[in-house]
Amino acid sequence: MTTKREKTVKWGEEPKIGWVEAMYLPAVMSGVATAVRHAFSGKPMTRQYPDVEPEIPPNYRGVHRLNRDEAGRVKCVACYMCQTACPANCIEIIAAPAPKDDPHWKDRDKYPATFTIDELRCIYCGMCEEACPVDAIELTSIYDLTGLSREEMVFDKEKLLSVFDKTVQSGKDPVRTNRGVLGPASEEAQSAKQGPPPPGRGRHG
Amino acid sequence: MPKVIVNDIEVDADPKDNCILAARKAGVEIPHYCWHEALSVVASCRMCLVEVGEKKPDGTIAMGPKLVPGCQTPIKEGTVIKTNTPKVKTSQQLTLELLLLNHPLDCSICDQAGECYLQDYTYKYGKAHSRLDEPKLQREDKYHIGEQIALFTDRCVMCTRCVRFTREVAGTAELQVVARGSHEEIDVFPETPCNNKLAGNVVDLCPVGALCSKDFLYKKRVWWLKHADSVCTGCSTGCSIHIDQNEDKVYRLRPRENPLAQGHFMCDEGRFGFKYIHDERRLLSPKLVSSTNGAASSSVVGSSKGAGGAQFADPWKDVLATTRAKIKEAIKTDARGFVAVLSPFMTVEEAYLLSSYLKQLDSRVRLVMGPVPMVGSDDMYPKGPKGEAPEAGRVKFTIRAEKCPNRLGVEAILRHFEGEVISVAQVVAKADATAWYFVGGYQHGWVTESIDRGVAKPSLLIIQDLFPSPLSERADIVLPSGSFAERDGTYINHSGLAQAVHAAIRSPGDARADSRIFMELTERTGLFNATALRKEIGNAIRALSALSVGDLGEHGVKIGVATKEPVLA
Amino acid sequence: MDLYQTLTEMWPSLWPTLAAIGVILAFVPVLGLYMTFIERKLAAYVQDRIGPNRVGPFGLFQAIADGIKIFLKEQIIPDHVYTFIYFVAPTISLMTAMFALVVMPFGPVPVDYQEGFRFVVAPGIDIGILFMFAISSLSAYGIILGGWASNNKYSLYGAIRSCAQFISYEIPLGLSIIGVIAISGSLNLEKIVAAQGGSIWDWNVFWQPLAFIVFFTSALAETNRLPFDLPECEQELVGGFHTEYGGIKFVLFFLAEYTHIVTVSFLTALLFLGGWHFPGLTGPVDGSLGGMLLRTFVLVAKVGGVVAFIMLLRWALPRFRFDQLMGLAWKGLIPLGLINLVLVAIVLTLELPKHLLAGTALLLFVAAVFSSYQLQRSMNQTVNARALNNGVRGVSA
Repeated sequence: MTTKREKTVKWGEEPKIGWVEAMYLPAVMSGVATAVRHAFSGKPMTRQYPDVEPEIPPNYRGVHRLNRDEAGRVKCVACYMCQTACPANCIEIIAAPAPKDDPHWKDRDKYPATFTIDELRCIYCGMCEEACPVDAIELTSIYDLTGLSREEMVFDKEKLLSVFDKTVQSGKDPVRTNRGVLGPASEEAQSAKQGPPPPGRGRHG
Repeated sequence: MPKVIVNDIEVDADPKDNCILAARKAGVEIPHYCWHEALSVVASCRMCLVEVGEKKPDGTIAMGPKLVPGCQTPIKEGTVIKTNTPKVKTSQQLTLELLLLNHPLDCSICDQAGECYLQDYTYKYGKAHSRLDEPKLQREDKYHIGEQIALFTDRCVMCTRCVRFTREVAGTAELQVVARGSHEEIDVFPETPCNNKLAGNVVDLCPVGALCSKDFLYKKRVWWLKHADSVCTGCSTGCSIHIDQNEDKVYRLRPRENPLAQGHFMCDEGRFGFKYIHDERRLLSPKLVSSTNGAASSSVVGSSKGAGGAQFADPWKDVLATTRAKIKEAIKTDARGFVAVLSPFMTVEEAYLLSSYLKQLDSRVRLVMGPVPMVGSDDMYPKGPKGEAPEAGRVKFTIRAEKCPNRLGVEAILRHFEGEVISVAQVVAKADATAWYFVGGYQHGWVTESIDRGVAKPSLLIIQDLFPSPLSERADIVLPSGSFAERDGTYINHSGLAQAVHAAIRSPGDARADSRIFMELTERTGLFNATALRKEIGNAIRALSALSVGDLGEHGVKIGVATKEPVLA
Repeated sequence: MDLYQTLTEMWPSLWPTLAAIGVILAFVPVLGLYMTFIERKLAAYVQDRIGPNRVGPFGLFQAIADGIKIFLKEQIIPDHVYTFIYFVAPTISLMTAMFALVVMPFGPVPVDYQEGFRFVVAPGIDIGILFMFAISSLSAYGIILGGWASNNKYSLYGAIRSCAQFISYEIPLGLSIIGVIAISGSLNLEKIVAAQGGSIWDWNVFWQPLAFIVFFTSALAETNRLPFDLPECEQELVGGFHTEYGGIKFVLFFLAEYTHIVTVSFLTALLFLGGWHFPGLTGPVDGSLGGMLLRTFVLVAKVGGVVAFIMLLRWALPRFRFDQLMGLAWKGLIPLGLINLVLVAIVLTLELPKHLLAGTALLLFVAAVFSSYQLQRSMNQTVNARALNNGVRGVSA
């Protein structure tokens, strides 16, 4: 065992201790000293959460929202990218051809007839946001989501759009991304370097 | 066999091959859009441009000065094809850049995304950006192309596969190219939409997302679909197909290339004719009717999906034992009067399981052929200018009048066990049956008035079917069976080609595929295994000895079943 | 009539006993609850947190809230337990823990006690410490039976570990106090304390440091406290022997554990830290009320210090691995205890000044560690060399 050691295996050596350490007592005392030092440091890290609300960074991954485009329609084109990327299988979309007869929808081919996210199943990894090619799905800084039933926590399209309306109105959650250019949620330095985001050039909104 | 050198790999090619086929034999892919094996060559997409040269007998290689389209260039002994030179690669990049000039890049809403050659080739051979500064041309989508077909005009790469298909295979020639230059578009002649019976194939042929099936439009992204190899049950042509399903719902059928069966295509009747398997009227749980004191009290044997009762109770638990007991009782009473009706929708294995079991109980039990649906006459393509059928020898596709997949297979089984093929109509006419075992599985209602009247009031009536019928209303035992997408087994088509079908989905409710019902009913041990059973049948029945290979492979196996005119119901 | 007469005759000696029992019975549960509170607070401070601060001023009522909550909890009896043993186990655990307190002076008790209130249930027991060890060893029963009755492999593992641990650490525990007893010449706790009644240098800790280390370590192991809490380590055994216990039954185990801590702390204070003696408070116990209270305060303060130290250790040291735990007892503490014992015997036999022991013991401790360290290293080398030889031979053969 000690003679032949496979090269592919990394062997960890038990740390060698000298005879002073072998007495253990100095180490025990230094451990106790550390504990005592912390006990008397007087600088607790505790946040008094319900009394004092934390400051949420703008790239916090909280409750989802579905963004609206300039015309107020849901930006989502029902491409299923978020559903494909979702590791928790919490997104469910049913796509439909856009109502072409409606002049309001004339320039759109496909839209989500239903769009539901199970906020309980979601792990808030942000992959949907990354995957979205039209910046339709975004995570907001709402962190204190509660509900009284499981059904209530399954957000449908209307609810997700209302999250957009609410968060954008409050000004706390600006639209994070814009056509591949990182929005204010990313590092400021980077967006300053790139300048304002160019207007969208794609066909669909 | 001419020897061809593709990227320094020497292969034996067919003298009829073009460069694309020869390269494929060497394992080298030459990208192409407009060329298709079943269509004529136009060499218009320029994607398959390769360097071609010749190896002289003295060993020196002389390459041609220009790139040539691989689809149009035949090969001969010593042809040298190079697809990996900088010249070829640059050409491929430029071609793709040009094809994508006006392409909207709306992959996110395009149904083709995931199986799109523009995506694949751009990924493999293209470059990441376009140098176009002008705004892209935007063109109207055309939903008027056909009942089942929508054209997203700006995604088109003008390969004209669809145009050539309607001209060469369908013969109906509805599609055409209108305008010139960068304004070229696919369109139909005014007032003549592309609604021929093969129209759905243009969607498969379209290498990009321009032609889309309205039926499948936006239903599912293709990468969610799982594929099972199967056989279309629409008619006795037995087209090889892929069943594309997700979460036990079939979304579409696609033709699977099979030179032994139908070639590359399938008809719309079969393509869109699978909807019945998700019909809400299907029988979902077995039913036993106990007729005590004359008053028949029907009881649906607790569905496992029912709200109340034991949630995980197996509704089949006692049904099959009761069925078995009743069959034995009926045979003991009057063996000659027990008639089992086999449908041409059963697989060979299923027919064999039931027939061998009943005959082993009593050899006087009669096995008869169920109604064989016939609609009109065989429909052959390509059509002539006036819609007339093509001359013999020029037929490229046939939709047969016999609308069932396995008449020959079931007949072979019947002939083995019964000696001859008796039709159900003959038994009904004689009116000497006292107990009936009907196996259905038809796509549509099959219980004709004469059968309904002829069956009258037997001592035992067992119905194993997909849909409720007048017979199932008054049957003693109703066994819900599975559709073709839920079956494993073998179908033998009009020409005696035995093809394997594979279950794609699980049966709805508590329905079970016939094979599974028969395995349990006939008290065989183990689970249904089509391969093992095929071997057994091949060894037991001489006419089907070709089945003894077990694994029929992708294309199936020809067997020498004598073809006879179908017994008309 | 007879009974009444007997009671009246016994009353002068009976009431102090009943009073002392009353004190213990009243204080143990409250102490248990408040020690959890103190432990939580201490843990919070060590970890730079605040700790419970919602119920009452500084969260002081947290302990009471916890108590009410735990008493009102539903009594769940799992289907698969041996019901009788399952119920008996926690009672045994707490009973033995409280039994041990019988001989424990929780305030100054004069050696020649005659009558009146005193700070111990049973004064003047000549086998005091022996009784205490005997009884507190029984608490292993509670744990083993609890683990067995739970009929659950985690609980059983916890019980088995506990069993092995108790057996192993009883030995160094006993060895370490033999020295103390030998010098005091008595098993009576009051006499042992009285023997330390001189100056501060008479405290046993100063001239028996090695015994103190061995005793304290073993005692910690006996209480199942970190770093010796293998019978209930959450990460490996869910909850160990009390996995299946909840509500009031769990509280009994819990109280037993804290009672053990208190017992051990008292023992440490009495045996090694001079009991109720303090510079200025030396000499035999006088009867005055002020002196009594002051001495009680001194003793309780010492005990409090030891309890706080035990709690601090919990957040300072990681848990032992089981082989390390066993190794410490058999390869470390028992030899050291023996060395100490021999040393004490030599000093006593040759009638050498006993303060010679202090330096010599520590020196011996260092020497023992050093030599065993060297020995082990050379042994490892031998083993390695043998393995190498075997390996080489194996290859050539």
